[in-house]
Amino acid sequence: MRSLVIMLSVAIGLFAGIMVLAIYKGVMRSRIKTVIYAETGHIQIHDTSFKKDYEPGFTIRNGVSIVNEIQKYPEIKTVATRTITMGMLSTTTGSSGIQINGVIPEQEHLASQLNQKINEGAGFNPNKHHEVLIGKKLAKKMKLQMGSKLVLTCTDSSNNIIASAFRVAAIYESDNAPLDEKNVYIRQTELNEMLGIGKEFHEIVVLLHKDEALEQVEKKLKDQYPNYLTENWKIISPETDLMVGTVDITSYIIMAIILFALAFGIINTMLMGILERTKEIGMMMALGMNRLKLFILVLMETFFLTITGAPIGLFISWGVTGYYNTHGINWSSRGKEMMSSFGFNTTIYPEFPDEKIMMTLFFVVLTAMLSCIYPAMKALKLKPVDALRK
Amino acid sequence: MKTVIDAHNISKVYNKDKIPVYAINNVHLHIELGEFTALVGPSGSGKTTLLNLIGGLDTPDAGKIEINGTDITALRSNELIDFRLKNIGFVFQSFNLIPVLTAEENVAFIMELQGMSKAERQNRIKTLFGQIGLEDKLNSRPSQLSGGQQQRVAVARALASKPQFVLADEPTANLDTASANKLMDIMALLNKEEQMTFIFSTHDPRVIERARRVITLVDGSIVSDTAQVNIYSTNGHEK
Ligand SMILES: Nc1ncnc2c1ncn2[C@@H]1O[C@H](COP(=O)(O)OP(=O)(O)OP(=O)(O)O)[C@@H](O)[C@H]1O
Ligand SMILES: [Mg+2]
Repeated sequence: MRSLVIMLSVAIGLFAGIMVLAIYKGVMRSRIKTVIYAETGHIQIHDTSFKKDYEPGFTIRNGVSIVNEIQKYPEIKTVATRTITMGMLSTTTGSSGIQINGVIPEQEHLASQLNQKINEGAGFNPNKHHEVLIGKKLAKKMKLQMGSKLVLTCTDSSNNIIASAFRVAAIYESDNAPLDEKNVYIRQTELNEMLGIGKEFHEIVVLLHKDEALEQVEKKLKDQYPNYLTENWKIISPETDLMVGTVDITSYIIMAIILFALAFGIINTMLMGILERTKEIGMMMALGMNRLKLFILVLMETFFLTITGAPIGLFISWGVTGYYNTHGINWSSRGKEMMSSFGFNTTIYPEFPDEKIMMTLFFVVLTAMLSCIYPAMKALKLKPVDALRK
Repeated sequence: MKTVIDAHNISKVYNKDKIPVYAINNVHLHIELGEFTALVGPSGSGKTTLLNLIGGLDTPDAGKIEINGTDITALRSNELIDFRLKNIGFVFQSFNLIPVLTAEENVAFIMELQGMSKAERQNRIKTLFGQIGLEDKLNSRPSQLSGGQQQRVAVARALASKPQFVLADEPTANLDTASANKLMDIMALLNKEEQMTFIFSTHDPRVIERARRVITLVDGSIVSDTAQVNIYSTNGHEK
């Protein structure tokens, strides 16, 4: 009975620890996926000066021929171009600073799945002009609805202020609410007309077939186009990289709490066990079992229980993560707002943290062993005469 | 005859700071090899205390206890544990066996502690279980044995390590007459066959009459010490 409790605590402790790691790993993996496939792409190319001030004049020179050239790379899945400028969105009631993205709808759908994020409306209609896609958060803030009219203002390449009226053709929602509040999408041709930059653009987004090819392709592009700024997603979205680190620390803290609970449970159960077996222990000491052997006995007991409990915990967590890895844990019922305001997907696909299993196992076993030392010491203090009298 | 236990002027006082209780008061005790001795006396007279003292489970407040020439009152606690393991067999009133171990394991473990070889252990177990008449219960757990059978296994365990003597504190207290008789038969047999010295405390007249020497304690002092004829060992009432 007592052995079962300890075995189960070890199993549950290990399970909880692994689940935390698995959920974090899943969250991070999905966050990275979101960043790559819905926001930045794997690699972006800009003019070296563009990102300093987002001056409309710093377009990618020979952009079209670069696009044609790199589209032939076997590792590259999709190439999209964007014209980007900072501007202002105004309605009759107010205004808000935004980033205007001039996109070619067909390309953008492939590069950042823009059409899949659309919540309301049909998106760009080939038969209409001056359409704009805005994020849900911005729509709410500016009280905009489908078909609402608004004015986008920006400065052109010769520093003149340009304003143009647009109609809301769709409201989109991504997993990253702050981005939704800042980005609006219009047709590239229309933005280029406003900015007066002809057929040029500011950004090339590259999506690869495989994440693993990132460094190789990045290097190839850098070598081939040394006079442009080539960056991968980790550089473009440093907060994601940073978040991976922060989350690691958080998961260690949660691990520590779990281990602490485990230790508490084991100390308690072992103490109870020793109390229960006072007579047994007293008798063994009377018969001539020395303290060292008794100590080893108590340690061995915990060790064996841990060794039996650990595979159970491992196996269950492996099964559970495996199941949810395909089915996903849906958080949307609660905390959807919270998750998406941090740029997280609302469905989590936990992933078995293979690389951290050994460490987790090690700490769980270590905690179990350490927490039986105090009860063992307590057992050693028993005097056989007193123990037997009870 | 060879002396096994030699205790001089031993005293044990409880409750020293308040009203002192002289559980053992200036007792001399001399036990020789092969004795079969009963320690009797009213409840609270100090039987358990005396057995604990000569068994090295407790230390006297005064006096000296020599076992085979070793002064156990001078031993450090770890040495004392080791000394008990090698020299003294114990049978307690109840809760003698470790519940999770089988009868055989309960006896074997003490020999393992002593570092006996496996062959030697198996040999000894075979002999002992034959002597206690439980050859068929080797693999039973204590809960599957009757109280009398459990006490017999405890006797086997006490002898397993080939001690100098066996101390038994009211070994029959929880047994019915038949089981008590059987246990006494076995102890008497081992006393004869293995030349094992037994000292047992008891209240039970049927047990007392089996002893060859009866020591009576009252209020921590020996009030009588008499030899008696053991009727059973002369008319062969064994097994
Ligand atoms: N740990 C202790 N603390 C205080 N007094 C004790 C302790 N152990 C025994 N005594 C006292 O010492 C005296 C002798 O006790 P002991 O247990 O040796 O008697 P006993 O002859 O074995 O009695 P019984 O026949 O009931 O088993 C008693 O008065 C008892 O109350
Ligand atoms: Mg007693």
